[in-house]
Amino acid sequence: MKLCEVIDALNSEVICGGDGERNITGVITGDLLSFIIGEAQEGEIWVTIQIHLNVAAVAVLKEIPMIILSSGREPSSELADKCQEENIALIVVKESAYEVCAKLKELRVES
Amino acid sequence: MNAEVYEEEYSVDGKEFVSIGIASTKIKAALKMLGIPSDLIRRASIVAYEAEMNVVIHGGGGLMKLEVHPDFIQIVARDEGPGIPDISKAMQEGFSTATEKIREMGFGAGMGLPNIKRNSDRMEIISEVEKGTEIRVAIDLRNKD
Repeated sequence: MKLCEVIDALNSEVICGGDGERNITGVITGDLLSFIIGEAQEGEIWVTIQIHLNVAAVAVLKEIPMIILSSGREPSSELADKCQEENIALIVVKESAYEVCAKLKELRVES
Repeated sequence: MNAEVYEEEYSVDGKEFVSIGIASTKIKAALKMLGIPSDLIRRASIVAYEAEMNVVIHGGGGLMKLEVHPDFIQIVARDEGPGIPDISKAMQEGFSTATEKIREMGFGAGMGLPNIKRNSDRMEIISEVEKGTEIRVAIDLRNKD
């Protein structure tokens, strides 16, 4: 699925649109940065409740094209600015990580 | 300076957690500029970022050094923090001495050193309690076949 199609399918507040044409390869969720550094694969969506600048640094490091902040967590302005600069999609959803992951599974985003 | 070795040094500010990644971003940019293969840049970036996190979180700041030799990349991270009393324990996945506040930000998962090891070809930790810690990591540039 293309990144822009994922954004269209979710009810979210879009902070940064990112590269809409990027293909999504899967989904990872977690709030421990080193866990994401160790486990995330290129092209995955990252669902987290962390909202500080280092989230963008990890996304850049792992070539993660899209970050979903769950449970309505609003990003820090530094995170929003960095995502803009790096062309990483950043959206906020009201649902919990569990609920949004279930939705992403249903959408079969990796296909 | 050896003409065949590219060297750069970066100071790491220990006060600002939000600024973690400045030195490793520069390391990544330098490796890109030198035309290092992207899979090696990816590994080196992970090593640099994790090492930088440690320098900030545990070391209270310090310095990082990048050396690109003809055969390998070396990344050195040095701090004058409290040191590591038991290195084998620190290498265990899940072991961390980070404070609650740091953990709430998603740092201190106890996976930093294992992540560094996994992405390196050689890793050495020199640490003295109350003196500081130095991590030296090498990533080979050429296949040994």
